[in-house]
Amino acid sequence: MRTYLYVFFFFLLSTFGLAQNIKEPVDFSQNTHIYGVKQIEQIKNWGINSPTSGVVSGNVMEMQGGSINPSMSGKPLEGIESLRGLGELFTLLQNKVFAPIFLAIIILVPLAFLTHLMIFKSKRFSHGISYKVFSTYNIAIHWLSAVPFVVICITGLIMVFGDKLGGGTFVRLARDLHGISTIAFAIFGPLMFLMWVKASLPKIYDLKWLLMLGGYLTKGRTISTPIPSGQFNAGMKMWFWTCTVGGFIMIFTGAILYFQLSSINALRLSAIIHNCLGFAIIALLITHIYMSVFAIEGALNAMVDGTMGEEELAILHSYYYKELQEGGKLEKMRVGKPHHH
Amino acid sequence: MSEAQFSSGGPTFQSQARIKFYCDEDRCIDCHGCDVACKEAHHLPVGINRRRVITLNDGIQGKEKSLSIACMHCSDAPCAKVCPVDCFYIRADGIVLHDKKTCIGCGYCLYACPFGAPQFPKSDVFGSRGAMDKCTFCAGGPEETHSEEEFKLYGQNRIAEGKVPVCAAMCSTKALLAGSGEEVSAIIRHRAITRGSGTPKIPYTWSKAYGE
Ligand code: SF4
Ligand code: SF4
Repeated sequence: MRTYLYVFFFFLLSTFGLAQNIKEPVDFSQNTHIYGVKQIEQIKNWGINSPTSGVVSGNVMEMQGGSINPSMSGKPLEGIESLRGLGELFTLLQNKVFAPIFLAIIILVPLAFLTHLMIFKSKRFSHGISYKVFSTYNIAIHWLSAVPFVVICITGLIMVFGDKLGGGTFVRLARDLHGISTIAFAIFGPLMFLMWVKASLPKIYDLKWLLMLGGYLTKGRTISTPIPSGQFNAGMKMWFWTCTVGGFIMIFTGAILYFQLSSINALRLSAIIHNCLGFAIIALLITHIYMSVFAIEGALNAMVDGTMGEEELAILHSYYYKELQEGGKLEKMRVGKPHHH
Repeated sequence: MSEAQFSSGGPTFQSQARIKFYCDEDRCIDCHGCDVACKEAHHLPVGINRRRVITLNDGIQGKEKSLSIACMHCSDAPCAKVCPVDCFYIRADGIVLHDKKTCIGCGYCLYACPFGAPQFPKSDVFGSRGAMDKCTFCAGGPEETHSEEEFKLYGQNRIAEGKVPVCAAMCSTKALLAGSGEEVSAIIRHRAITRGSGTPKIPYTWSKAYGE
């Protein structure tokens, strides 16, 4: 009996001991803000030609750029951390390339459209019968996304040209507004995406639209041949994908930059993506504003009261018009009174 | 240059050449005297460490080295190149300083810096970044020299008092040197000869920071 008792205690104690052994793995993490792990990460991968930079190379282990975690010291770097040159590349791009490209975009794109307007004139369609093509929900979501979106673009540009604006409080305010507006866009942007994703899927006829540039190179004040386009034409679709999916990438990279969420090389990559995507977004935003406000008289109505004149619908969105007609939906969308200006 | 001059451990700033930092990895004993001195001298808030001692190749026999790192005051400073509000200025003696009142805390200088020097305090309840903070070579900032405002934003201005940066002054083994490039080079050369290690290579930190 006593032996059993000993055996029992032996097991009890040994399980206790075992439990002790496999407890928690030793926590090697340290205060990264004070003891340099973060900083060593930052020192690596600066130069285009070297996997390491600063103190890591030369001084200690020549050109190896080993990891510095206590448990894996000296191991080669992996993932984005092993990419070369992002520090130097970022410096080069931000120093020489980004701001001039933004400047070129905000000057040349409006200039190109001004020329277009002078040569091809703004298009006019008769305003006989009109149809309600966008619901109140569509319009609300559009503007709830659009207003913060435009604020984000403008404040972004203010930061890009911060030196010309003197920096300090004003540009800092722009930075804060850039972040706050992002919250609004992050809410309504996805709703807009869901609302219009189906209508924005690419179709074969979009190619035709692109080849003829949507008829915008037609001289005179009217376009009479129907243009191949659904509810959205290929240009609008391009804008849709850029401002939604592109916008979400901007939110993602922007959040990483704002909160400094990741390792230094990922921060650099995020900054590069954020700026490059910024080019496309600014250029297409200007295009979108030009098309809706200047290129076609009264086109803005579609996003004010949701209506579009029959001629405009039949010509600029011919496939959509036909589809509505054949589906017998068109009559129901008809708005009582003809639209006047 | 006489031996007595450089063995005293402090630079004299007689020369007009640019200033440099140098940390001798054969001498650094990981005592953290420099970073504690810096934090204390400039009354830096929690989370801000203008100078840090880092240990590389921890646990690898014969290769473990400690090193004190801060802003190197690069010539052709990458941080100054990328700042969207252009708030950096580089003094004639090479000290890289910036104006915290112009800085918007965007973080770009950190991405450009080869030494991870720029630091960012949290500024308010939103947790957004405040103005960038980094080593000033103990040379204050753009505010009036020795004014309260200068001390509050940038810390002590020891250079204006004719003193060396507090980190180098405090370094017990004189691993960390701060002074004119010529003087620091002379000390490095002297040490290499004394150790019998021949002509010293240009430190890698220097090739990054000063393009040599
Ligand atoms: S070490 Fe970094 S912060 Fe200091 S001057 Fe060089 S790039 Fe600028
Ligand atoms: S954080 Fe300040 S100093 Fe650094 S790049 Fe941005 S504005 Fe310039």
